[in-house]
Amino acid sequence: MKACVIVYPGSNCDRDTYHALEYVGMKVDYVGLNDELEPYDLIVLPGGFSYGDYLRPGAVAAREKIAGEILKAVEKGKLILGICNGFQILIEMNLLPGALLQNSSGRFVCKWVHLSVSDAVTPFTMHYTRDEVIRLPVAHGFGRYVKVGDKVRVVFKYLEDVNGSDERIAGIASENGRILGMMPHPERACESILGGTDGLRLFQSIVEFLRRESH
Amino acid sequence: MPRYRFAVDIQFKDNVRDPRGETIERVLREEKRLPIHNLRLGKSIHLEVEASNVEKAFHIVRRACEDLLVNPIVEEYEVRKL
Repeated sequence: MKACVIVYPGSNCDRDTYHALEYVGMKVDYVGLNDELEPYDLIVLPGGFSYGDYLRPGAVAAREKIAGEILKAVEKGKLILGICNGFQILIEMNLLPGALLQNSSGRFVCKWVHLSVSDAVTPFTMHYTRDEVIRLPVAHGFGRYVKVGDKVRVVFKYLEDVNGSDERIAGIASENGRILGMMPHPERACESILGGTDGLRLFQSIVEFLRRESH
Repeated sequence: MPRYRFAVDIQFKDNVRDPRGETIERVLREEKRLPIHNLRLGKSIHLEVEASNVEKAFHIVRRACEDLLVNPIVEEYEVRKL
C-alpha cells in the first residue's frame, strides 16, 4: 500500500502530510513534478502556496507536467486527495466542479473549525458516521467554494460560516468518490499533542479501503 | 515573424462577490468621501504574440485565455490590441 505526496514549488504541508500517512502505516514517497505516479495507490496534493498563488491559487500547478500523470491515475481509479492548496489544484484541473475564491471577509482565516460529515461512504470518510461533527484546523485565504450545477458530492460542511462558501461547503468528492478535495487540514489533527485527532480517521479510512480493495 | 501586443482584461462575472473590490470601494467612499460605487478589481495582462498576421495572433491570445489565464466559471475577459 503506497502513497505519495506531490511536492510543488511552494508546497508547505508536504511533511505534515507525509508524517500522517506514515503514522497510519502507509509507505510514503515524496514525488517531484517530473516523477511518475504509476507505483502509488494514493496520491496526495498537499497544502501550501504552489507557485506563490500566481494568477489564481493552483492555476499554474494544475498545468504542470505532473497533471498528466494525475489524469492517468484518475483513469485507473486511484485515490486522489487534495488538501487546501491541493483542493485548489484539483479544482483548477477540472477534476472537481466549482471554483475556490477569496474568503468573503477578504482575510486569511487560520483557526480550528467544526465540520459535519455529509458523506460517510467515500473511501476517505468510511470511519466517520454521517452527520457526525468533527473539529479540524483551516488556514486559507482562498477557500470560498462557489458551487456550479447541482451534481456536487458534498463530503464536509462547516457548521459556522468560515469563508462565505456556498452552502458552507468545506470538502467535495468526485461522483465515484475516489477524488476528495477539502480546505480543512486533517493532517494537522492526527495526534492529541497537536490539539485534536479528528483528522486521523480520514487516513485510517483510506488504509482500510485500500486493504479491502486489494483482497 | 511579426509580434503583436495585446492586453487581456479579466473581470469577475457580475454575480461573483469581489471582497478586494468591496474593500477598496468602501475606503474611497467612506474615508475619501468620493461617490464611488460598484468597484470591481480585475486583472490586466499585457503580452506579445508572434504570429504571421493579426487574426492568428488574436487566436493565440484567446487560446492562452482558455488554457490558463481565465477561469471561465467565475471570470470573463476581453482582448484588446495595443
